[in-house]
Amino acid sequence: MKYVRRFFGLFILFCSCLTLQAQNKTLTFMPHWLPQAQFAGYYMALQKGFYAELGLQVQIIHPNTSRIATESLKNKEVDIISLFLVSALTAQDRGVPLVNIGQISQNSALMIVAKKSKNFKTIQDLQNKRIGIWKSGFDEIPKALIAANHLNVTWVPILSSINMFIEDGIDAMTVMSYNEYDQIINAGFNPEELNIFKFSDLGFNIVEDGLYCLDSTRQTRQQELQKFVQATLKGWAYAEQHREETLQVVLEWMKKEHVATNYAHQKWMLDQMCILMKSSTKNLKYGQLSETDFNKAQTILYQSAVLKTKIPFVLFYKPVVK
Amino acid sequence: MFKIKKSLTQRIVFYVLTLCILIFLTTLSLFYLSSKKQLEQVTYKNTAYITENTALKIEAILTPIMKIAKNYQWMMIQMKDKPDSIAALTQKVVASNPEIMGSAVAFIPDYYASKGKYFAPYSYRKGDSIITKQLGNENYEYFYMDWFQIPTSINKPYWSEPYYDTGGANALMTTFSIPITIDSAGVSKTIAVLTVDLALDWFTEIVSAVKVLETGYASVISKAGTFVTHPNKELIMNQTIFSYAKENDNEELRIIGRAMQTQKNGFANSTLNGVHRIIYYTTLPSSNWSLAVVFPKSEIYLPLRKITIILIVLIVIALTLLTIIITKVISKQLIPLTAFSKTARQIAKGDFQTPIPQIKTEDEMLELHDAFHFMQDNLLHYIETLKDTTTAKEKIESELRIAREIQMGMIPKTFPPFPTRKELDQYASLIPAKEVGGDLYDYFIDDDKLYFIIGDVSGKGIPASLLMAVTRSLFRSVTLHFDSPAEILTNLNNSLAENNDSNMFVTLFIGILDLNTGHLQFCNAGHNPPIVIREQASFLEVIPNLPLGLIDGFQYQQQEKKIHNGTTLVLYTDGLTEAENDSKKLYGEERLLELTSTNEHLNTQQLVETILEDVHAHVQTAEQSDDLTLLAIKYNGPTRKYEKSVSLINEIEQIYILQQFIEEVGEDLDFDASLVMKLNLALEEAVSNVILYAYPKVSGKKIIVSAAYKGNDLIFTVTDTGVPFDPTLTEHPNLDLDAEERPIGGLGIFLIKQIMNEVTYSRIHDVNVFTMKKKIDPKNE
Repeated sequence: MKYVRRFFGLFILFCSCLTLQAQNKTLTFMPHWLPQAQFAGYYMALQKGFYAELGLQVQIIHPNTSRIATESLKNKEVDIISLFLVSALTAQDRGVPLVNIGQISQNSALMIVAKKSKNFKTIQDLQNKRIGIWKSGFDEIPKALIAANHLNVTWVPILSSINMFIEDGIDAMTVMSYNEYDQIINAGFNPEELNIFKFSDLGFNIVEDGLYCLDSTRQTRQQELQKFVQATLKGWAYAEQHREETLQVVLEWMKKEHVATNYAHQKWMLDQMCILMKSSTKNLKYGQLSETDFNKAQTILYQSAVLKTKIPFVLFYKPVVK
Repeated sequence: MFKIKKSLTQRIVFYVLTLCILIFLTTLSLFYLSSKKQLEQVTYKNTAYITENTALKIEAILTPIMKIAKNYQWMMIQMKDKPDSIAALTQKVVASNPEIMGSAVAFIPDYYASKGKYFAPYSYRKGDSIITKQLGNENYEYFYMDWFQIPTSINKPYWSEPYYDTGGANALMTTFSIPITIDSAGVSKTIAVLTVDLALDWFTEIVSAVKVLETGYASVISKAGTFVTHPNKELIMNQTIFSYAKENDNEELRIIGRAMQTQKNGFANSTLNGVHRIIYYTTLPSSNWSLAVVFPKSEIYLPLRKITIILIVLIVIALTLLTIIITKVISKQLIPLTAFSKTARQIAKGDFQTPIPQIKTEDEMLELHDAFHFMQDNLLHYIETLKDTTTAKEKIESELRIAREIQMGMIPKTFPPFPTRKELDQYASLIPAKEVGGDLYDYFIDDDKLYFIIGDVSGKGIPASLLMAVTRSLFRSVTLHFDSPAEILTNLNNSLAENNDSNMFVTLFIGILDLNTGHLQFCNAGHNPPIVIREQASFLEVIPNLPLGLIDGFQYQQQEKKIHNGTTLVLYTDGLTEAENDSKKLYGEERLLELTSTNEHLNTQQLVETILEDVHAHVQTAEQSDDLTLLAIKYNGPTRKYEKSVSLINEIEQIYILQQFIEEVGEDLDFDASLVMKLNLALEEAVSNVILYAYPKVSGKKIIVSAAYKGNDLIFTVTDTGVPFDPTLTEHPNLDLDAEERPIGGLGIFLIKQIMNEVTYSRIHDVNVFTMKKKIDPKNE
């Protein structure tokens, strides 16, 4: 039936393990989702040879719908993964010894979308409603938001489609501004027909994509990781300045991985990513994780009992680029 | 713009062609416009028909499948307590329905305690065999799949979005899922979902088979707007109609996509890939997908354009042929015209005998031929006549010339006419309007009297000239017997009035001037009054009477006037005062009067010439309409042969006799008083000088004073036999001295010289002869 590509994914993993053993210098990187413009910077760093310039051999492999990146990292199948901050904190709390070595996103793309026809006006209207959420994880912040508003909702885990929302199988849906939201628009809904609750507007502007590795890897391959982060940031800068070229590379990746998509949606996503990477704090350097953002995320997760213990910032954030 | 050619053929062709093109264009436009509308309607209707028909075809396959699924749903409910036989059911579904690629019955988690979390028997086609297995494990949690999650959530059958099945059929598939619901203690509960998988290859085939016009195609979008089929394979599954609209920046298409999602069917249009296209869409009721047929609008008109192009080509050919044929036919028809044109030129050159082109057709050309023939005959005849006429005219003209010479011969033309008569200065001019005229003038002197006439016969030309000749002859003969102007005119009138059947008349002025006395008798017969110039010019006041020849027996009244010396009479005919210029303005009597006033000092010839020049200046290029005659007579006064003398003795008292004598002379010669007084003064001085000094101490001696008038000179002679004395030798007196202091003599002779023009002294045979000459100005007379 659907998504029977896991065999293919496993094959790739197998191959990459072989490569790892064969050549120690190769770094494997796994973004936390299927190929799309969300990861444009990595593709461009690879495409434009920014990794190679620094003597790195980097391989990008993608997860599939049933295997999340943290598992691959924990199992040392890959060296570096990208991950939302909250997912990383949760994983760390659950015993995955990962550390943040660079922060890409500086804003939250999370939103809850509902059809205006269903008469949603404020967040309070979500009381006792069915809300779609990713089955693959990243549910901590939405749940914290609902809890913070003392609401009782039914969470409906869904894989990756928006059809439940379209077919009215759910009342509202958590979406990423750069992804599912645009898919809904591309299914024929006009923005003015939708109610949008942006997490960033509701006190939950929790930064997302960051680069993570196992602390052990960081200790042993510090120099390589430093080069990787440098080249990655260069890749992102290039992607931002050369969006058309970048989109073609992204579409090539998607085609290679047999992911259905289209130009318009990827363009939207790239544009959104470029916005999300801009920090509102002036003294924060490109690629840095702010302690404030870290504390905010950890506090929310701790208060909503997702985290059992708190971890000091310095133990979690170990930037490889000073 | 077209320039209309000079050739008749080209012009006809141009007009005919223009008309034809206009007619063709109008017809073609009407045809095109009406056909266009009809074609549009027919095409729209056809498209809707084709689309709906295709939708029906698709439904004809989908509807039975839904029925099959519903049938099995019922069977499933019956079998819900026998989980192990469910696999047989799914196998049967696939086995007995070849269009179904797979079928599953997927239960909610942990439905059967014995079967664990996942229980979903699934049968699917693989080649010719049917394989059955269990779906669901920790990597494939089917509960979260759309095909399970959506029908269970909405508790309705659900057609999944199309997907590529990479596991089995490797084809585009869709899954129809139907929830299986049971009533448990009054509460309905969904326990499982029954699915049937359908490959969409047949679907694609049906849709791809749709062809509208040249490049029109059909496409299907799913409920979420995803392209299920489209000629562009890249779009299928990758794009929704909305993402495609966004990528192409086509807001219209987004609106059309939304209409396709919500409306049953309808027409729309938008520009896709740069081509304006018409879209008809209709909903597939089973799945709520939408089928659209798209075709370029321009293709509607392709057949019409083809026909139109063929028509235009045919019309162009037809018009070309028409042009050639018209040109040839008309040129052929017009060939004789060229020949006629040549003939006309020949005839114009004078070749009247030139052959006329022969015409065999009986049409306008034949008429032209006949007309030419007629013209030629008539021209010949006319020329003959013209020759005769010209000869006759030349003869008449020659005779007229002679007549003119004769007429002019009757009129005195020698100037001055009377060279010996110093009393007169005379000049005349007669300019006839035609060869011979009706004006006349004449004069002669008889017995120191000047008889003169000027006249104008009514009408012009030969009749007038004949009457003029008659009048002139009568004047000469009548004056033999009568010497008063009235009698002359009365007789002339009677003679002319007699037998005057042609009612012609003559205006005439007659004058008889006594050359010795300046006494003028005159009589006017309806003629213009003459001008009298004496310092100023003025019209002579005349009694008009009647023109001659009108009323027999009319008594003419004559008048008389004293003509002073130096007076000029200007006689003229109305040809002068009525001379017209191009703007029909007359010369006029005022202008004549003014001109003569300013030129009173001229002699008669100069005066006449000056008047004629002025008339010419007035008339300029206008044709002379009437005879123009001028006669000017200047009376200089009589030629004197006056002599008178008186004898005195040398006594001072005798001065009184001298005074008497001078006054008599003055009276005789019509001198004015001042002249007489001056003459008296001069002669008193001369004679008293002789009385006092010529005969000292002797008295009773004779002194003879004589006066003679010769020409304009008055000559006084004083003779005595006294002592010789030449008074002219006397010195000029000193006028600055007082009278007492001045010596005697000298003052007297000074006075004489002042008065007289010439003073001479001579001693002839012991006689003193003292001569004093005084020029008498005629005006001072």
